[in-house]
Amino acid sequence: MQGLREQVGLVPWDGVEWMLRLVLAGIFLYASADKIIHPHDFAVIVKAYHLLPEPLANLTALWLPWLELTIGVCLFTGFLCDGALALATGLLAVFWIALFIDYFRGIDVACGCFSSSPEETAPMLWYIGRDALLLGLALFTVEARRRAGNALQLHS
Amino acid sequence: MRLVPRLLVQSFGILALSVTLALVANALRPGGPAPVLAAPSAVQLDRSGGEIGIKDAALLFATGRAVFLDARSQYEYSLSHIQGSISLPPIEFASRFQDIKPQLVGKEAVITYCDGELCPLSHNLAKQLRDAGIKNVYVLKNGWSLWQAEKLPIAKGSAGPSKAGAASQGGICKDCENK
Repeated sequence: MQGLREQVGLVPWDGVEWMLRLVLAGIFLYASADKIIHPHDFAVIVKAYHLLPEPLANLTALWLPWLELTIGVCLFTGFLCDGALALATGLLAVFWIALFIDYFRGIDVACGCFSSSPEETAPMLWYIGRDALLLGLALFTVEARRRAGNALQLHS
Repeated sequence: MRLVPRLLVQSFGILALSVTLALVANALRPGGPAPVLAAPSAVQLDRSGGEIGIKDAALLFATGRAVFLDARSQYEYSLSHIQGSISLPPIEFASRFQDIKPQLVGKEAVITYCDGELCPLSHNLAKQLRDAGIKNVYVLKNGWSLWQAEKLPIAKGSAGPSKAGAASQGGICKDCENK
């Protein structure tokens, strides 16, 4: 146990967790802005994924940016932080799977990740790689938060 | 609180908060709620009514989205008319409109027609329909001649207004409403 205490003490996990959480919050807040302003353009992108029936694609386009905004605010302020972190990780995983599915179906879509403009397209593998990095960041934040909690328990 | 229940409660709270925000923001959005994406139609109708072209009328006929009202006399109607159209000369409007009204509900367009460039009957009928509260009324100018010239589906005989054909059967596209 002494070894673990020393290991935990080497890295200031609460600071790491705080920093990663702010980065993740910034990403989610930035991602929501353009989609909130242009819901119709975002609906076109959601529909282009061909994963949801049209009425659900519409509802998703109207609601998803607000979910991203709420998650971003919660991560930034620390309010409902565990839930926000879980939802952020889940959302990024869902986006990643959706991109993979479309990639294997041969559907080339505009990601709609940070912009609602259908013209802003990049190769699907770029989107998949970028989303994998973001998912990795979210998972690392979850782990940092867990370790920060452990460190707090050990020190108290 | 244990981790899993805490995650569930917090996640549900965030989801509920985001739904509330989305509802409020879209309700307050300038110009009304955000546009809901609909499949674009090749037929772009002017919401205020007016005239309709033969191509649009034929497309609405084929997909069963319009009801056609024949403003000519019953005699001319019995000789030949647009398949599925309903005979409603303007002079008989007052006595027959209530019988026909249920058949106009749920259609994208109510299209009146008569014969000839200067034929006033379809315009008269359209005006009476609008005065009676029907909003989506369009006049197919010189409709009967154009319809025949394009060899679009026609029928003969004096079918009663309640026995309308293509309009009530979904046009020539029989299963359009199931798509």
